[in-house]
Amino acid sequence: MINSDQIKYPHLVLVVDDQEINRDLLGMILEDEYEVIYAQDGLEALEKIREYQNRLSVVLLDLLMPKMDGFAVLEAVHNDEYLNHIPIIVLTAEKSAELRALQMGASDFITKPFDMHEVIIARVGRIIELSEGRKLISAAEHDQLTGLYNKNFFFEYANRIYQYNPEWEMDAVVMDIEQFHTINALNGRKFGDNILRILGNEIRAFLAETNGIASRFEGDRFDIYCRRQDDYQSLMDRFQNKVNDVVKNANVRLRMGVKPWRPNVEPAVLFDRARSACNMARGNFMTNLVIYDDDMQKRELLSQRLKNELRQAVEEHQFRVVYQPKYNIQYDPPRLSSAEALIRWNHPELGMISPSDFIPLFEGNGQIRIVDNFIWAEAARQIAEWREKYGITIPVSVNLSRVDVFDTTLKDRLIGLVRDNGINFTDLKLEITESAYTENGDQLITLIKQLRKAGFEIEMDDFGSGYSSLNMLSAMPIDILKMDMKFVRNIEYSETDLRLIELVVDIAHYLKTPVIAEGVENERQLALLRGAGCSFVQGYYFSPPVPAEIFEKFIARELKLREQKSDPA
Amino acid sequence: MTLEELYSKMGGNFAHAKQIMKMDKLIDKYIRRLKDSNFDERMAIAAETMDSTGLFESAHAMKGVCANLGLDELADAAEEITEEFRPGNARKLTDEEAGAKVAAALEKYRYSLACIKEYESAL
Repeated sequence: MINSDQIKYPHLVLVVDDQEINRDLLGMILEDEYEVIYAQDGLEALEKIREYQNRLSVVLLDLLMPKMDGFAVLEAVHNDEYLNHIPIIVLTAEKSAELRALQMGASDFITKPFDMHEVIIARVGRIIELSEGRKLISAAEHDQLTGLYNKNFFFEYANRIYQYNPEWEMDAVVMDIEQFHTINALNGRKFGDNILRILGNEIRAFLAETNGIASRFEGDRFDIYCRRQDDYQSLMDRFQNKVNDVVKNANVRLRMGVKPWRPNVEPAVLFDRARSACNMARGNFMTNLVIYDDDMQKRELLSQRLKNELRQAVEEHQFRVVYQPKYNIQYDPPRLSSAEALIRWNHPELGMISPSDFIPLFEGNGQIRIVDNFIWAEAARQIAEWREKYGITIPVSVNLSRVDVFDTTLKDRLIGLVRDNGINFTDLKLEITESAYTENGDQLITLIKQLRKAGFEIEMDDFGSGYSSLNMLSAMPIDILKMDMKFVRNIEYSETDLRLIELVVDIAHYLKTPVIAEGVENERQLALLRGAGCSFVQGYYFSPPVPAEIFEKFIARELKLREQKSDPA
Repeated sequence: MTLEELYSKMGGNFAHAKQIMKMDKLIDKYIRRLKDSNFDERMAIAAETMDSTGLFESAHAMKGVCANLGLDELADAAEEITEEFRPGNARKLTDEEAGAKVAAALEKYRYSLACIKEYESAL
């Protein structure tokens, strides 16, 4: 490892004095430590400062000189944003000049006649050290690309504002660019950097009009801590329009999340929530601005609580598997054919939590595997128990989540469940949602082929809900098509939906694949589906998902029908 | 003539010169270069018309260099003129008195140059 103090470079010192003897004397004192260049008047000094602006470590400047005096040089350097980082040590014998030079930006003084060599070298060294320290701090403090603060400094300053100016009502704003990595990939890094620079400039212009600080937090994320604004949509439009003005040929979409000020809420918390709000605008083409409100906070807190409590809930048997019957409607009366296993969470404090509240949550963070494993194990056990108890097999279908597609142990674990419970592979049917195909088509096809080879049957869930349904049908080997329930919802009123169902059933027949219709709620829907040639239905018309002991009534009824007709379905 | 003797003759402070330049070799080098300066010419020209700016600038330059070379008496004489003619300072002396100070400083300076020449010729 190379330590930073090993990374040295020669320091360049400019000595400016109209008297050659003075210049030489200083040069003699400094030459062992530094590279020294000289100027004999103010004009020449300014030329050399400009010429060596990126290399000069310090300027030793006499004040009284012909052509241009030291004060004029100080003033010119001080007022030049490219030069004013260069420290200047004034050479003077006059106390009266010190204050004026200091006010004009001088860093230190060397008195005339010159002091001991060691003192001069130490003073020059000290000023160089301080100046380099400042440069390092400045580099660390600011993002080079946009000139805005870097993350750590931003939060340090935000916290100071919060702590020492609590009466300022500061909102947290997070802004980023939708699909920025794609924009970079398509147009190149320079193009992307230019957008970031434009935004940085516009944010600075905005902050010049109001009080606040801003940071390029990371990548394309900007954090702005500003005095409360009445109209964030205008601010959002201002930034979007600025980008649109400059970037003509690319569709660059910004999004913004805002967490308005609340007393005694520290910046880190405000920005977490503003970030959440910004994420909510992701992919939402109706709005690019989300203001974080109390409802969102409640939802977020609930989400976090559910995530935290999942394992405990499994251990404490708060989850319960419920079964919804599927009926073969080509018989009259319809006959029980199988069931779908679904999950219910009865929380000791929150009560019954809807799957629509927790399934997407766990799908998002991968914890859905814990829920899936629980359902699969319970369903396999239940199939075996019913067979033992009633002497017939009621196949149960279970859902595989998108994340399961990537689980290399999935097939073996499912095979283990079948073997451990002594059931057949066709008894535990596997439902895979159509959208998983869109996301990971090739991987899903490979998995399905493996599972079918092992003996499992695959049901394609939510068929018709995605964009590539027909495309998928030709590529994917499946055993049962489960039509998305939105087709069924309107068949009584919509000729189009009914025709679509007939079409799906026709396709399925052609593929020799049975069709299950979900969401059947009334007799009219049932009749239309039967007329359309659909074989199986599932829905509240027959029963909502129920606990296993209630489901057993359906099994008993089925057994009775079988006895009456001696005709096993 | 040794360097120390030269300094003594010029009314200089050899210890101060040694403090700044460390080595006799360097004192020798820089004290001999005083001959190349033209403070006296500039000061003499300015004195003819009592040109304040010219007197201030030449005296200031003389003061700075002489102080650095350890020529304390010359530096003090030049400082008196510098302060007398410093822009913004109220004049304390009449032109006649100031002229006398300038003439004394010039004389001392030229005497010092003569001493340096003598020192050189003895090398």
